[in-house]
Amino acid sequence: MNRIDLTIEICGLSGDGTIAAGGLLNEAMSRAGFSALAFDSYPAEIRGFGRCVTRSRFGFDRQIALENQTNLLISLDDEQSLSRLPFLAADAVVLFDNHPPSPVAEGKSIAGHARPAMSLFGAPFRDLAAAASGSAKGRNLAALGVLAGLLNLPVDAFRERIGKKFKSKGEKVAAGNIRSFDAGLEYVLKTYPDRLRPLPVPAAPAGQAEKVLWSGNVAIGEGALAAGLKNYFGYPITPATPIMEYLAARLPAKGGRVLQVEDEISAIGAVLGSFYTGARAMTATSGPGFALMTELITQAVSAESPAVIVDAQRGGPSTGLPTKTEQSDLLAAVFGGPGDTPRIVIAPTDVTECYHLTARAFPLAEKYQTPVIVLTDFYLDNRVENIERPSISADAVADALLKPAPDQAGSYHRYQVTPSGISPRALPGTPGFQHNITGLEHDERGVPDFSPGNHQKMSDKRDRKIQGALADLDPPEEYGDPGPLDVGVVAWGSTFGSALDAVQSARDQGLKVGCLKITALFPYHEDRIQAFMDRSKTILIPELNHSGQLNTLIGHLGRGRIVRLNQSTGIPLYPSTILGKIHELIGEDRS
Amino acid sequence: MKTPARRLAEKVQSIQESNVFNIRSGELPTWCPGCGYFGIHFGINNALQRLGLDHHQVVIVSGIGCAGRYPFFSNTYGHHTVHGRSLPVAQGVKLGNPNLTVLAVGGDGDGLGIGGGHFPHAARRNFDINYVLFDNSIYGLTKGQPSPSTPKGFKTKASPEGTVDQPLNATLLALSYGATFVARLFAGDPEGITTALMAGIRHKGFSFFHVYTSCVTFDKQFKTWNNLTNRVRPLPAGYDPADRRRAIERVLVDDDSLGIFYQEPPKGKE
Repeated sequence: MNRIDLTIEICGLSGDGTIAAGGLLNEAMSRAGFSALAFDSYPAEIRGFGRCVTRSRFGFDRQIALENQTNLLISLDDEQSLSRLPFLAADAVVLFDNHPPSPVAEGKSIAGHARPAMSLFGAPFRDLAAAASGSAKGRNLAALGVLAGLLNLPVDAFRERIGKKFKSKGEKVAAGNIRSFDAGLEYVLKTYPDRLRPLPVPAAPAGQAEKVLWSGNVAIGEGALAAGLKNYFGYPITPATPIMEYLAARLPAKGGRVLQVEDEISAIGAVLGSFYTGARAMTATSGPGFALMTELITQAVSAESPAVIVDAQRGGPSTGLPTKTEQSDLLAAVFGGPGDTPRIVIAPTDVTECYHLTARAFPLAEKYQTPVIVLTDFYLDNRVENIERPSISADAVADALLKPAPDQAGSYHRYQVTPSGISPRALPGTPGFQHNITGLEHDERGVPDFSPGNHQKMSDKRDRKIQGALADLDPPEEYGDPGPLDVGVVAWGSTFGSALDAVQSARDQGLKVGCLKITALFPYHEDRIQAFMDRSKTILIPELNHSGQLNTLIGHLGRGRIVRLNQSTGIPLYPSTILGKIHELIGEDRS
Repeated sequence: MKTPARRLAEKVQSIQESNVFNIRSGELPTWCPGCGYFGIHFGINNALQRLGLDHHQVVIVSGIGCAGRYPFFSNTYGHHTVHGRSLPVAQGVKLGNPNLTVLAVGGDGDGLGIGGGHFPHAARRNFDINYVLFDNSIYGLTKGQPSPSTPKGFKTKASPEGTVDQPLNATLLALSYGATFVARLFAGDPEGITTALMAGIRHKGFSFFHVYTSCVTFDKQFKTWNNLTNRVRPLPAGYDPADRRRAIERVLVDDDSLGIFYQEPPKGKE
């Protein structure tokens, strides 16, 4: 059976139904048994007349990264699609509307720009939809019909998803849209019977676990629900808002509350208040909101209050690039704020990890009485992957609060200094354990104390506590052969999938390369990271930021040559870029 | 005949028997001698005692400033947060465990300045929390800068030519924000504080207590004990606190009356 690696792009102007068509394509392909990874690109303005592009990579094996080459482009707007030409494979297939409402301006037809090896398939998307449903609005669905016919995709999966998606708009709209799809399908079968390119379909999955098509944000919401989240506090911000909306539809039914509050400061404040009473709480935000939360995060470090905060990074600084991806909040997450404020920072690298790390953030926060920051990024939050439905054991998310012994009633010290740095924590409502928590430096009782010895002692305690959390954090994972490596790639967050993809390609080419995945960013496993670096002749750290923040954090562990690969473009780092750098580094060594 | 010493001894005994000090922690307040906060402390403590609330069922949340230190002086649970953020934290506490009695305390800089953005939302959300604003119209802990409620013309090191901005009226703000219980009180009248606190804590919803008080160290001009004592008077007999519009109209022209300005009448059972 042929392995399939197919990247399909749909490009249009906002309002063309581009994102909707991409979503339907992902759902139908997933239903047909393909593995999928998809990520959309859209403007920050809702009515901005911007370009919308959906990119989906399909295959039989699990997809871990998008590549920068597209095999098939559906053009819903030729003028917009022209910008995608550089990213099309030499032999790409292009589907376009060959009867647009007004003649396409001179030189703006995609057909006029296609390279010779490309295959063009024109179909009157608008006319087909208008004839089938009475409205040209369904042109995106007619285009999907053309696609399905051309590749011989399972059409029932499309029909079912279309019917479901438009059900809320009435039977008439749903049926009309299915007819638009069918019109495209019939057209291509009739018009291009000799040029069809049937795609092998994966064998019917036997006994496989249930698959879900989830975005990173959905996985974060599900992870929080699995951990028994009680209260969610949030403030709208791209790309974290869908987490709040997802939970708003589900948490109340489980007895929890979702509150959209007046700002991010209020959100983190309420999280601290809720967790103070023992009720698990969370907030999610992006860079600008995270900056506002900083002061209360440092208060939580000092007062030793649990909190779970998702920072869904986007392009910065400041308001930055609201709908573009970047990994530039790392140092703010780890070090941000006044004073020495050790806290736990973890970063998932794919949708499944978004679920698990979010769920596990709650017991971590409870056990270590600290803010836990789950660091994601736009490319992770908004991508969709079809994955086996994740689950987590009740033990893994069980209440991790260390309560004081009952005989301490009346003599309880909230910040008792212990070898682990963890002090038993009494919840409000417990008789005889009244105490104060504070962001002022305090003695073991929680009473302000600014004496030199006390500040040293308490700083030591807080640091010891967080370093101790390493025992509960996933150690870095190595990929590739053991033994000496010419290039060892160290990656985190959404970039890891691209790094692993690149390393796999390089290994297929016979190169001695490996990859290290780091999900525990603070504290981090120094020994394990250093061991990997020590067996790499050159260490490559690819990151979606300008300053090399992971390198700043852990680069000091490397005793050999460290090379950064940084990109500040707002778009994901693609495997081909990393692979090119690997080739360059190995070539340098050999020349 | 009772000698003065005898009368004093009897008074001490009656105070001891009232257990009014039990709610105080062993920490000595950091406030200056003569500070109005002592009166507020006394008023709040009395209310909590008279309501018979278990100390471990009370959480006092504060921000930063002289009033921010309040929780350390009470034998309840306390959450000393950062500047201006007592209300968000207090709401989180109440949602986290609705059985707790939650008080947020803080000064005028904390609540009307840096934290002023939280006040309207806490009021309109109407969670069952109690917010006590200690309004001495000055930043005391930083040694005497003008606050959002400082009267015009107040000369400080930070305002050598005198303040020029219109002062905020916290009672008026609370009424316009939709708070369902609004009282104006005076640190020199602890009994009045106790009475209003008892009613406000019983009130199911957001209760706001605007307490006039004096900074004896940094304000020798406006909100001095003398000035405040001469100004304040109870709301007129027969005042009906059930009418928000009339409360607002009164507060617009009356800076001096004390008492419960507004209490939303209880709704029928849902």
